[in-house]
Amino acid sequence: MSEFKRQHPVSIFVSFFSNVKQLLITGAVLLFFGSSQQRGPWYYLFILIFLLVFSSISGFLYWLTFRYKLEDRELHVKHGLIFRKKRYIHQDRVQSIDLNAKLIQRMFNLVEVKIETAGGGEEPEFRIIALNRSEAETIRDELLYGGDEGEESAESDSPAAVPEGTEGEEETVPAEKKPSERKKKPLDYEWKLTGKRLFAAALTSSGIGLAATFVAAVFSQFQQFIPEHWYETAFGIIVQSSVTFILIFVLLVLLVAWLIRIVSTVLKYGNFSIEQRGNEIVISRGLLERRQLTLNRDRITAIRIVQNVLRQPFGFSAVYVESAGGGTKEEDLSTILIPLCRESEIQGHLKALVPDFAFERKLTGLPGKSMRRYMIRLAVPAAIAAAAVTYFVDYGALSFIGLAAAAGLGYWQYKDAGIGNNEQFLWIRTRKFARSTVIVPRRRIQTVEVTSHPLQRLHGLTTLEVSILTSITGKTFSLQHLGENQALACYQWFSYEDGRR
Amino acid sequence: MGSDTVEYIEPEKRPLPDRKISPKALPVWRIGAAIEFLISAIVPLAYWWLSNQIAFLPGWLLYVVIAAYISYGVFNIALFPKWQWKRWRYRIYENEVELLFGILVVRRVIIPMIRVQHVDTEQGPLLRHYGMASVKITTAATVHEIPALEESKADEVRDHIARLAREADPDE
Repeated sequence: MSEFKRQHPVSIFVSFFSNVKQLLITGAVLLFFGSSQQRGPWYYLFILIFLLVFSSISGFLYWLTFRYKLEDRELHVKHGLIFRKKRYIHQDRVQSIDLNAKLIQRMFNLVEVKIETAGGGEEPEFRIIALNRSEAETIRDELLYGGDEGEESAESDSPAAVPEGTEGEEETVPAEKKPSERKKKPLDYEWKLTGKRLFAAALTSSGIGLAATFVAAVFSQFQQFIPEHWYETAFGIIVQSSVTFILIFVLLVLLVAWLIRIVSTVLKYGNFSIEQRGNEIVISRGLLERRQLTLNRDRITAIRIVQNVLRQPFGFSAVYVESAGGGTKEEDLSTILIPLCRESEIQGHLKALVPDFAFERKLTGLPGKSMRRYMIRLAVPAAIAAAAVTYFVDYGALSFIGLAAAAGLGYWQYKDAGIGNNEQFLWIRTRKFARSTVIVPRRRIQTVEVTSHPLQRLHGLTTLEVSILTSITGKTFSLQHLGENQALACYQWFSYEDGRR
Repeated sequence: MGSDTVEYIEPEKRPLPDRKISPKALPVWRIGAAIEFLISAIVPLAYWWLSNQIAFLPGWLLYVVIAAYISYGVFNIALFPKWQWKRWRYRIYENEVELLFGILVVRRVIIPMIRVQHVDTEQGPLLRHYGMASVKITTAATVHEIPALEESKADEVRDHIARLAREADPDE
């Protein structure tokens, strides 16, 4: 254990591919949106070769210079070619360790070790990108639960045996080594997403809009490559007018986008499982790429329950967590806790996973006068757009259907908006398209702000804004057009300055 | 938790924050707005130049642009600073800072002392010339500013908030 070791050589490939991927994405963006100057194939070939060579050299150097050593509850790491860095990660500083496996790692049965350290300054996260599973587990168990070196060899197959082993050893050498503060705790709660649920989640997953934009962008590029006459014979017969053509195009785009979403959701949330031990919630997911995420219950700043429009008829929702710290960059800054469950099951999950958040939530709706604000706010832009379309396009008057839809959505938003609180928690329900309920503990709220614009003041309405801390930046949840008294009551509820407490 | 209803202090009973910012903010803001006004003169000038170059840009639009430019100047230099200054209020309590500001959108914020990460004073060349500074309050999620206080007052406010924030009990 006292020798410095290198990672598994496959790490060369891993960093090579991640380099190439990054460069390709940059290149694709430049190609797609940049000017379409004509350049010979040699030009691109040259760039490609340069990228490949560059990536492989840097991958090799990374492997060559990165060395680590595990020593008595501490990980020593040396890396860097020109700027040499040394890093010691001691058990006391470790927040959580996750073992991820992307496609390449999985092919070679390897894992990536992601270590999150406390108050880590610029680099709260540290990764070793390719290790044998047993080696990785040795590191994890040493850094998380280790107090003695003897147990390492024995434990890799049977993690369950660790707690007793650790405790036993500590009693014999109490003076020399500080007893490890954490021990592998027994499993408190476990939940798995069933295949049926996964499929339902995939079918009803939102975010089609994003995928659709992407598909539309690809399609519109695609058109350039299809010979025009081919295109005309294929579509010319069916397509009488441009309107039908546009409709078909839109439907096609939506369909493809939907399929993409289904596949990507299945890949992302396949084999989803939650394990909870004491304060730690470990989320593992992914069909091809396995990802692990450790959440600390004490650092959860808010819980969100989101029900998108497709899921509403079936009574399904998803539950998200906002957490201060806990590298969730890949997950749009908030972590999915339960990808799909019935409305009636939410309370049970919350009770088991985050009992503080499990309580009955009474909602107070918004005053009647705010209904108008919700409807007008959506209807006015829709009306302007519809007027413009009517003016410029044949059959454009049809777009006034959109106006009715916008007003309807506004009414829906008004109906679903609400707020409530008890002594320690505030909850707000809003709808953009999806209906989302956010539950925030008072002690996690950074600031509360009440704002009003002139139209709101006309009707005595206000907007309430509640800011919390999430993994990287702050996040603000706002509820629009609630009555002045409602907002001020909430404002006063948050205030630290009165005799109430 | 326990009971579902919480006894509120009647919202009306909460006083608005009552400390004003320095009246010298007015000339500073006005000078700032005037400089901005001069710089943005580039917009009508650019339009004038373009309409000479490109035939289809109508000449009458130039007058519209100039009119918009002048009214923008009047609002920004003469009216907004005054309204802004009249509205601005702050109050530092033992456990929180409260701010009230904004012309069109009126904002009222509570910043609890235990959430304050750091406070600093800032001074641009204009503020320095008038012997003023602004106080910046940072929480983990947000940043707030009291824009113009007498220099000595700003230092006092900063140190005061810093002390209260330090003393604030993290467990409430």
